[in-house]
Amino acid sequence: MQRMIPVDKLARPEDHILLPALRMRNARIEQGLAASNAMPYEDDFLKARLHGICAGEFQAMEAAGRTLYDFPDAPWEFQLDMARQVWDESRHAEIYLKLLEYVGSYYGEFPEGEVLWSCTQAEDPAARVAGINRGLEGLACDVFEQLIRIAQKMGDPIIERSVDYVLADEITHVRMGSKWMRQLTEGDPERFKKAQAFQESIDDLFNFGGGRTTVEQAGHIKQRVGEKEIEIDSGITIAREARLLAGFTEEEIDRLVKGFGKSAAY
Amino acid sequence: MPDLGERGNVMGPQPIGKVVEPPAAMLAAAAELLTAIMHGDLASAEAMTTQQAREDIARITHALKPGAYDKYEVIGRGRVARHYFLKARLTGINAQPFTIQFRLGEDAGKWTVREVLNLTDRRSAWTK
Repeated sequence: MQRMIPVDKLARPEDHILLPALRMRNARIEQGLAASNAMPYEDDFLKARLHGICAGEFQAMEAAGRTLYDFPDAPWEFQLDMARQVWDESRHAEIYLKLLEYVGSYYGEFPEGEVLWSCTQAEDPAARVAGINRGLEGLACDVFEQLIRIAQKMGDPIIERSVDYVLADEITHVRMGSKWMRQLTEGDPERFKKAQAFQESIDDLFNFGGGRTTVEQAGHIKQRVGEKEIEIDSGITIAREARLLAGFTEEEIDRLVKGFGKSAAY
Repeated sequence: MPDLGERGNVMGPQPIGKVVEPPAAMLAAAAELLTAIMHGDLASAEAMTTQQAREDIARITHALKPGAYDKYEVIGRGRVARHYFLKARLTGINAQPFTIQFRLGEDAGKWTVREVLNLTDRRSAWTK
């Protein structure tokens, strides 16, 4: 059975533009923008950020479903957790579709990237949950916490509450990941180490060249969002409180803040 | 008003932003490019293509049978900031549909092709 399927095997409507990270990066660099992602200082930041998250929710739904399908011999409770996650992610996708409409965008306004899906490519279920539930959902905690603060500054309870609702689920998903990473590798330190290394490779990928920092240490910039000019973080921050709630240790969070001294892989 | 909640009897939250309409000049440039490719007019296609994409545009123009295609349809569009990726399909009565994807960017008021890819028989630009 083929367990690691390429991103373009995912079902998408024909009018959808799906791009490798490299093509997206080239387009951004040619316009004098930061290579990796829409940054808070960009005009379309809110639309592009919500769109990226929405695409991420779809891929997270597909990834959890794929994990359920790929490992039929995994414990029944593991399968139940993955099924529950598919359901959670589908609700999240729906919420972000509505939020896109709310900010004057629509799904498909921007191309969909493949970088998140590339983080699901692991043969071992322990590595799969380490990468998706701890790596990617941990990143989601950071991105959502920042979005909630932005919405608060905008005075927008729609975005604030919607994202807070989704964040609560993501915290549960990280906890699920921690639980299964431990249980599936019990008595097999080598397997645990491999799963951990897979998660770290993902943390490293989204560390943006060591450019991420804590909420307290982040620089600020003025940005017009909708009708208002607000002061927001100049980059993607690390949400210590949300990550602690999700079960990450202080040591793990400190390692993220320090950025392992490595640069981003894309 | 966009439907924000399928709650016909409730006035839900109103959109706080406007949808960005694609620039008319960009769409005109896309039409010009597709017409040139369809007619095998490499000179016109090249004239609106940056150096970095010239080889690819030549390869695509040469891959099309002259006169085989008489219609095009833009089937997908997605933007990265101010650059637009477009997916288009060329069709003709006795020809297999031909799909291309290209990126247009504006420089000093002129929209030019920055990259182009033959997507025929492929679903995305995943494979380089």
